[in-house]
Parts: sequence; C-alpha cells; structure tokens
Amino acid sequence: MTDPVPLPAGVRDVLPVEAAELRALGHALAGAFASFGYREVMTPLIELADVLDRAEEEGVGRAYRLFDDEGRVLVLRPDLTIPIARLVATRMADHPDPVRVSYNARAVRPPVHGKIEGAEQRQAGIELVGAAGPEADGEVIAALSRALAAAGVPDARVAVGSVAVVSAVLAGAGADDVTRDALWEALRGRSVVDWRRAASGLPLEGDAAAVIADLPALRGGVEVLDAIAAAVPSASDECDRLRAVVDVVVRHGVAAPMIDMGVVRDWAYYSGVVIEAYAAGAMAPVAVGGRYDGLGARFGRDRAAVGVAVALDLLHHAVGRGAEQADTGMVLVGGSDDLIAEATALRAQGVEVVGVPATYEQADALALADGRRFVVRRMGDGWSVRDVISGADEALAALEGGPWI
Amino acid sequence: MDLRICVPLGALFGDCLEVMDAVGLPVDPLRDAGRRLIVEVPGGPTYITTRPSDVPTYVESGAADIGIVGRDVLLERQPDVYELADLGFGGCRMSWCTPEGDDPTAGAIERFGVVRVATKYVNCAERFFEETGRKAEIVKVNGSVELAPLVGLADGIVDLVATGRTLRENGLVEREEIFDSTARLIANRVSHKLRAEDLDALVRGFEEATA
Repeated sequence: MTDPVPLPAGVRDVLPVEAAELRALGHALAGAFASFGYREVMTPLIELADVLDRAEEEGVGRAYRLFDDEGRVLVLRPDLTIPIARLVATRMADHPDPVRVSYNARAVRPPVHGKIEGAEQRQAGIELVGAAGPEADGEVIAALSRALAAAGVPDARVAVGSVAVVSAVLAGAGADDVTRDALWEALRGRSVVDWRRAASGLPLEGDAAAVIADLPALRGGVEVLDAIAAAVPSASDECDRLRAVVDVVVRHGVAAPMIDMGVVRDWAYYSGVVIEAYAAGAMAPVAVGGRYDGLGARFGRDRAAVGVAVALDLLHHAVGRGAEQADTGMVLVGGSDDLIAEATALRAQGVEVVGVPATYEQADALALADGRRFVVRRMGDGWSVRDVISGADEALAALEGGPWI
Repeated sequence: MDLRICVPLGALFGDCLEVMDAVGLPVDPLRDAGRRLIVEVPGGPTYITTRPSDVPTYVESGAADIGIVGRDVLLERQPDVYELADLGFGGCRMSWCTPEGDDPTAGAIERFGVVRVATKYVNCAERFFEETGRKAEIVKVNGSVELAPLVGLADGIVDLVATGRTLRENGLVEREEIFDSTARLIANRVSHKLRAEDLDALVRGFEEATA
C-alpha cells in the first residue's frame, strides 16, 4: 500500500460535478450583481500583514502568515472586504462616487479544531463605496435578495441589525464603559442571557428597562424600531435611518428584511447596518455584510461603504442538487485520431465532443463517468449511436441533426 | 411544530422533561424512548438525545434547531449558537480543587513555575489560569477526575461541583470558584431566523415555565 496522501486541515478538492455547480452559482450571482452595475475586481491572494492589520484595532485575527524573502510578514487574505477596501481606497481613489465593485474569490482562515467551517471560503459579493445614505444600504440588500433568487434560493430570509442603533441605545441608556463592553461581548457572543445580566446594571426603569433588556431578542417588522426609539429617544435618529433602509428595499420590489437587533458581526470595522441572509439547508448564514464607513480612511481615502458577501459553499448546500447535467455531448470513438475532422465539425456546431482513439474499448464507461449521454462510432459508411442512459442503439447515415443537438 | 430539539441525557435529562412538559411540549414519547436516540412525535417535535457535551455540536451544525445544555459545556466548547434563556435548573459551579491540607497551588508555581491540572474541561481550565496570571500544565482525563491529584498525576482538578460530596469523599477541597452554571436554551443561527416566530413563542414559554 502506498503512503497516505493527506491535505492540510480544513481544505478539500472540488471535483467536476461540484465545480460545475459552484460555477453556475457564481455566474447567477454575478449576473444579478452586474444588473445593478457592479463590476468585478480581483485582489492578490497574499497581502502585507501590516497593511491588512490597519483594518482592525487589534489586527486581523486568525490568518495564515508567511514571510517573503526580505523578512516581511505576509498574510493569506482571511477576508475579502479588507483587501477590496484597500483596492478601492488606493487604485480607485479618483473614481467618481460611488464605486460599485463585485468579486468572486476565496478567503482563507486557519480552521478551528472541532468546527465544521472549512479553511477556504468561496465568497461572491459586492461593495458600494462612496455612498452613505440609506439608499446605498437598501440597494445592497435588494441586490443580495435578487442574487440569491437568481441562484435558486427565492425564499432566503434577510435580517438586518445595526451597530449604530445599538451604539446609540447604549449611549442613551447611560451605560458606563465596563457595562458597555460587557453588553457588546454578550451581543457578539449571541448570548441573550449574558446581555440581560449586564443590562440589569443600567440606570433605567419601566418600559425603557424592559426594551433594552430584550434588545438582542427584539425582532420583527419596523415596529421593533418604534419600540426602541420610544424607549431611548436619543436613538431615534438611527432608528429612523434603519426604517428608511427597509423602505428603500421595499421600493426595489424585494421583501422587507426582518429587523433583528441580535444580528452583529465579529469584525470590528462594521459601523452601521449589519446584514445576514439565511436559507434552509445551510447551517450558517449564506450571506453576511454591512456598513463599514471607517475602513477607507485607514487606507488613505475616507469614503462611506457598505457591502455583502455570499458564502458559495453554504449556498451550494441550500440549493441542493443542481439541474441534472449528465445529458450533454458525446464520446466520439476515433475522435482523437481517425475522426479529428468530424470532431472539429461537431464542436463548431456547439456539441461537447470527447475524443478517444479508434481502438478505445471503454467508451461507455467513460461516457457515464463524465456525464456524456452518447457514444458515437463509425459503422461502415454511417454511424452507430448509443444512448448510455437508455442503453438504446441507433444507426445514423450522417452526424448532422443527431439527437445531441 | 416540527422543530428538532436536542436533549442532553444524564443529569439534566429529568429536569429537561419537567420543564418541557410545563412549556406544553409533548414529552411522554421521550420519557418512554427506551434506547432510541431519536424520537419523532407525529405532528410535533423531533427529539434528539445525546451526551451533554455533544448538544452544542448538533445545534451549531443545524442537525437540531434548538437544544438544552449546561453553561459549562457552552464555555468549554464556545459554539457559534444563540443562547436564548437561562432555564435555572442544573445549578453547579466550575471550581479549582486540590487535596485537603495546605493548598499546593502557590507552592507549585513558586518551585516549578507551573501548576499541573487534570480536567475534562481543557479550555475552561486553560483560560482560568491564563486570566489569573498563572501557567498551567493541563492533563486531559475523561472520567474520575478526582483520582488524578490523589495519585500524583496533577496538583488538582478543574471540575464541576454540584453538592461537593464526591470531592469530600475523595479528600479534595474547593479552592477557587471559576464560574456558575445552569441549563441554557440554545438555538442554531439559521433556525433562529428562519423559524423566528416559532422560536420566539417557545422561548416565552420556557421563560414563563422557569420564572
């Protein structure tokens, strides 16, 4: 027996069927993004660590790091929003506002032992830079909904929270630094229990105390924002802004997102609306994003920005099996030696032709393995055509107009 | 309501049944489950029974929509799930315990630079000693933790203490309390949003039943 051939932890290969399905998903998403005017950009796989570290107060956390030949620390991009913020702030600094860019790329993060999440994450997303209003947030949410529908998940649920609303509530509720940190930690840890415990120390009474104690569990329509604004009047501007975002989404002809104050992100650069989308069959949100107004300034160009990224692998789980693909093209026996001209003519007509030598004996097995429906052989002056799905054989005088068209 | 509910076998099981009964969930089929691990109630929830430490795994992955689990397991496993309610029962505490007599902790640090800790809760123990500025050498054991300090495998243990009886019987003393634990209701991140209406109603039920 040969030695095992292992892969690094958390990564995997993608075989033809999955690759085709992922490609189709990416294509569907890109089409929807393009219809809103987003153009694709690509950033390098590796970045200088000290550049990416500017994005977060405490530096980017979990990441693969390596050294270049001059001893500088490099990082394999652990996220795509940061490199794209860097790209837009530097390469597109003079581009008229707003900048609309999209991407379909892989982020890499060392896996956590015992977690299912892989090290490589395929993400397709958009960033809208240089637009601060609720129209921008609403457009991104609408584009996300359209993209998920185009990819085959028409019933995805989108939820929005707001870092700005929560911040305003905590400031208005008179939280001291210690309480505020404890509350943020509870929110990021998704613990309603810890939040309530920390919130019980706030100097509040009556309805206001009740609303704040329930904040991470508050969700539903815009009435949630009415309740928050009534409880903490100083947060009403931010509540109005989020209400305006919902209004814009609806004007795009897309279902209103659920308001959910428990939706937050781990990355500290988020500053306003926070977006998540969910689909049955995916264990975690299929899309995440939000507003990150302060990030551009860290790369030298201060512009408001909002974006969202779809996790392609999770989306793939949610859409289930793609359309049956084992029905295209043919294996042409002799197509790689005696019948190259015939193969070329068929390809020119748009037929997928797998050429094998005239002496090849495993044409049926190859057709089944590769998802080709027909095996075609020379027979006298004509052709024999086998449909490997039904097993039926047919004789044809000429290749033109065959069943593969 | 076709929710999948992950219920821990063991110490919390009885109280779980009682509280779920009070919430109005049909628990009799679960009570009579025998050795079955999955109990489907026609027209009702599906119960998945597992070891307590596996509950977060099933919920985080979406194999179950919600689950009941001790805070000790949450702090040890740090799963990415929503912690929705403190159910109040299953009270206990995570503690640092050493043999009777003089506490060997400070002496071990002074003379060897490290305190040797036997535990099932490797992450909790590591965090506790880091946060208190001490270097710990963690030995992972899977059962009968109390044995380790008695035979010289470790200076002490980090373990759950409910009544303290097992500790006393083995000549161990609680030295430092690390945190309190009770049973918690947790939910998968996606189920929490896709089944928002069902879950919010259920959480209210649990809160009323355990108030």
